[in-house]
Amino acid sequence: MYEPKVIGFLCTWCSYTGADSAGTSRLKTPWNLRAVRVPCSGRVAPELILRAFDQGADGVLVLGCHIGECHYDSGNHRAAKRIPLLLSILEFAGMQPERLRLDWVSASEGDRYARIVSEFVDALRPLGPNTWRISGAAPRTGAAIGVPLPLVSGLSGGAPCP
Amino acid sequence: MSISETMQSTARDLLISGQVQRVIGFEASPRGRVRPAIIDRPEEAERLVWSADCTHNLTVYLQRALNRDNGHASREPATPPARVAIVVKPCDSRAINVLLAEHQFSREQVFAIGMACEGIRQGAPASAPEATLQERCLRCRERVPVVHDVLLGEPPSALPEALPDEALAHVRGLPPAERAAFWLNQFDRCIRCYACRQTCPMCNCPTCLFEQEDALWVGMRIAPSEKRAFHLGRALHLAGRCVGCNECERVCPMGIPIGLLNRHLAETVESLYGHRAGMQAVLSPVTGMLSAEESAP
Repeated sequence: MYEPKVIGFLCTWCSYTGADSAGTSRLKTPWNLRAVRVPCSGRVAPELILRAFDQGADGVLVLGCHIGECHYDSGNHRAAKRIPLLLSILEFAGMQPERLRLDWVSASEGDRYARIVSEFVDALRPLGPNTWRISGAAPRTGAAIGVPLPLVSGLSGGAPCP
Repeated sequence: MSISETMQSTARDLLISGQVQRVIGFEASPRGRVRPAIIDRPEEAERLVWSADCTHNLTVYLQRALNRDNGHASREPATPPARVAIVVKPCDSRAINVLLAEHQFSREQVFAIGMACEGIRQGAPASAPEATLQERCLRCRERVPVVHDVLLGEPPSALPEALPDEALAHVRGLPPAERAAFWLNQFDRCIRCYACRQTCPMCNCPTCLFEQEDALWVGMRIAPSEKRAFHLGRALHLAGRCVGCNECERVCPMGIPIGLLNRHLAETVESLYGHRAGMQAVLSPVTGMLSAEESAP
């Protein structure tokens, strides 16, 4: 059975601890989420989320501190401003909007963390695998290049792009 | 006196009186249309022209003229001019407001020669009788620059009805899978020449995020996924800042409809935050704090 692969960007000051708190209280949370610990939800630039989708994530969940509780005062404000726009442009470029979600989880809200992750994964399951990743696109670290260069005089044709 | 002659005498007066040290405007190009012109001496002012072919957004030259170097290595003076006059259309003048809000230069450093604009013709030679207005101009209702120190030309009294954005509505109306295919098809043609970035007055980072070899999260390769990330990322960087001059789309050698992305985000920003870039010298709401009444998500 298809199980979605979810990348979670968790703020170290709140939701990362919140995830811990869900674990210590023995709450059942889906295993689909791979947590990436970030210093703040404001650190999660749109490029990070785009990269996650490009590399085959079925969903991206960004969790930060509640508004007014940011360790850096306004980092979560920035996330709250940016991510709706990213969602808008991703949808415009053909992705289902259910695949990206921003929410707030404080360090003590293990139950809220478990509920949000379960909800998110349950919403992803009926969508099926994400078609966003371009098959054949080489991973960034690899030397192989997916698309050869067009013929340019002075260059050998189809030489890999440096 | 024709509008070009009025512009020439305005520029000449400004340079002679020492109010500005440089005028950025348009001149006739040898290929029959117009091209940007940078005028430092009063006697050169006669090169300036104005016509419905003046499509370039000249504000992209402003920062270079004012802050970095004098723009032309071979030219005098070597020190940056204290004040620069620039010919602006209504759309371009909004770019000045955005750059002012972002502290790229101060208002005193700019003398805006505003042009009452009736729309710019499409890329056909100026002599072509069938030349029609650019699509962006058919959608535009602004006739007087938001920022101007002097206004040349008469703004038309009766405005034609602005046309709806049919291309944008069409892409939005496609089913998601077709929309994804449409955009992949477009981005796949990109050769990453960065002409869109170079011509954009808002793309003024000293080092572009998409051109850093050591950037961990963005790639520089000519791979479809990385080109897609470049275009979506660039559109996001322009959210709430893009004034819709559409230079990026005009200069694209591959004909990628970059303007669609920018217009989509501009509409999103307007509906979310009620902000239109450059109407006042205020920062994009996308970079700031949430206001008291907002509490997303």
